[in-house]
Amino acid sequence: MKAPSIRKRLLALVLLPAVLIQTAGTLSDYFTALTPYRDAYDQALFDAALAISAHVRADAQGQPALSLPPDAIAILRYDSYDSIFFKVTTATGAFIAGDRDLSELHDVMNNPARGYARYHAEAVRLVTYRAKGTTGILNVSVAETLHKRDRTRSRILWSALAVDICQLSLVLALIWIGVSLALGPLRSVEAQISGRAARDLTPLPRESVPTEIESLVAALNRLFVTVRATSDAQQRFLESAAHQLRTPLTGLQIQLELLTEEPSAAPVRERLALLLEATQRLTHTTQQLLALARSDEAGSLRWEFTQIELSQIVESTVADRISDAIGAGIDIGAETAPGSIQGVRWLLLEALSNLVNNAIAHTPAGGVITVRCGIAAGTGFLEVSDSGIGIPIDEREQVLGRFFRGSNARGAGSGLGLAIVAEVAQLHGASVSIDSGPDGKGTSVRITFQQAARATLS
Amino acid sequence: MRVLVVEDDPLVGDGVRRALGGGGFAVDLVASAEAAKSALDTESFDLVIADIGLPRQDGLQLVRSLRSRGQIVPVLMLTARDGLADRVAALDLGADDYLTKPFQVPELLARCRALIRRANSVASARMSFGDLELDTTRKSVTAGGKALELSQREWAVLECLILNAGHIVSKNKLMSAIADWSDDLTLNAVEVYVSRVRAKLGGAATISTVRGMGYRIDEPRK
Repeated sequence: MKAPSIRKRLLALVLLPAVLIQTAGTLSDYFTALTPYRDAYDQALFDAALAISAHVRADAQGQPALSLPPDAIAILRYDSYDSIFFKVTTATGAFIAGDRDLSELHDVMNNPARGYARYHAEAVRLVTYRAKGTTGILNVSVAETLHKRDRTRSRILWSALAVDICQLSLVLALIWIGVSLALGPLRSVEAQISGRAARDLTPLPRESVPTEIESLVAALNRLFVTVRATSDAQQRFLESAAHQLRTPLTGLQIQLELLTEEPSAAPVRERLALLLEATQRLTHTTQQLLALARSDEAGSLRWEFTQIELSQIVESTVADRISDAIGAGIDIGAETAPGSIQGVRWLLLEALSNLVNNAIAHTPAGGVITVRCGIAAGTGFLEVSDSGIGIPIDEREQVLGRFFRGSNARGAGSGLGLAIVAEVAQLHGASVSIDSGPDGKGTSVRITFQQAARATLS
Repeated sequence: MRVLVVEDDPLVGDGVRRALGGGGFAVDLVASAEAAKSALDTESFDLVIADIGLPRQDGLQLVRSLRSRGQIVPVLMLTARDGLADRVAALDLGADDYLTKPFQVPELLARCRALIRRANSVASARMSFGDLELDTTRKSVTAGGKALELSQREWAVLECLILNAGHIVSKNKLMSAIADWSDDLTLNAVEVYVSRVRAKLGGAATISTVRGMGYRIDEPRK
């Protein structure tokens, strides 16, 4: 399973605390804002109570009475949002004026006393003022319904919420962008690695790298050193193996060749010839196994690609195999057109040499072998075609595998030749195709490079 | 013909010595570059065959030190490595030819003869190739003692092929070998001269055509 991205981790880590902090902030803003507005509205009720208390005077009977005209009472009761109620009583609770059912607050500590109450099943805010009038102590209560208070409270709440939601979104957006910016150096290291040649094992520069990923770069550099050392060691081993195997085989082969020629060897000449043939086969297979091992190793970074003129590969291979071809009575030739590719010279020589060897082994005397190179459809190619016995169509895929020998293969081949060709082709990003030769007879093997070849003047 | 073989592997060294001995060469075998240098200081050789992979000083160092001391004896390098770099380095350092191990005896003999022939062609008027005897001053050829009638240009073709025996000679190279300053030869004309020479040689030597590349002369197979 893939680990969650750094961005997601950071968001998950930051999101919950950020939401909690913002919520607490919102609540605190809200409750802080509630008190002043409540006090302001309460003050209005208290003012009304003061005004009422000032108009309680003794009437004709000496009883306290409200001396406000109905118009003034209407003004007192007027409010755009809420209904206003009042009630005036004596200290003993005797009703003087107003709404008889309105309750009163009795609070010895505070004057005016403030609180919530119900009036005719509706919640109201109530202020009761104990006034010392000309007729003695009066209780003046003024109440109003809660509509404008509710309205104001929800406004405060929503505006606080809106500000905080904006803040939270901003924080999250900053994290999102910040992570991208912070990961920039990682991406530039990645670009550096993927931007260089596959075979480039030089250490990455550490100067411009942020401290956080310096250890990552250092670890990569250590890995590069290890890979390099391993590859160098393998290279040295194969070079020494090539030398250690070829030298004694050469000695064996020469000695057997000479022994076969010696007059005194006549009685055992046939056995010597068998030995010589086996030695040659052994030499050939050794050569091919080494080539395969080294092209494997080449796949693991070792070889330097250079600009290679294809015609040089063709001419060098033909010159190398000419003795065998002439000895077998085969007409061999080269058809070269200018063209160059990026490649490893000795691997291409090895591959083409294997193709020519196969052609020589499977072409009867009097046959024709042609080695071609050039550019077709913008890409370079190497081709060997012969007028020999051909490869059955259903075996053409298989012959490219290791140790497979065609049903009509001749001589004592190892079954590695075409596998080497396939391996070398793969290393060069090239494809191998097998067809019939000219006139539908024989075999034509073509290595087509995918890279754009450059035509050069030879 | 005296050949110095520098090879540390006893089996290969002995094989090369016997092969060359059978080919009519006088052979001295040493196993190190140091021994080769002291042999070359005291005696004269027509050819040095040196393995690249020698202990201590390798074959490449040997060639370099020979050339730096002004010794122009032809050198044939033997190499067991398949890196092309070795061969290029060998030729750059002044080796005249190289053979990759494993090689076959006839190939070795052909290369040795070609090298000696080329070196001697400067000093000596006489040159041989199989049954052919060439006289470079009189520009005459005999095959098994019988004189062959060759025109000047035909002779130039034969000489050029024999001096480069064992290698493919391009038409261009043949053309410059036979063309005088005044001549305006075509590549087709080269083909005509080669086929005339081929006809006149009969079985004394075979000239093979390598289509697209040139020609190669070989001694007849016995």
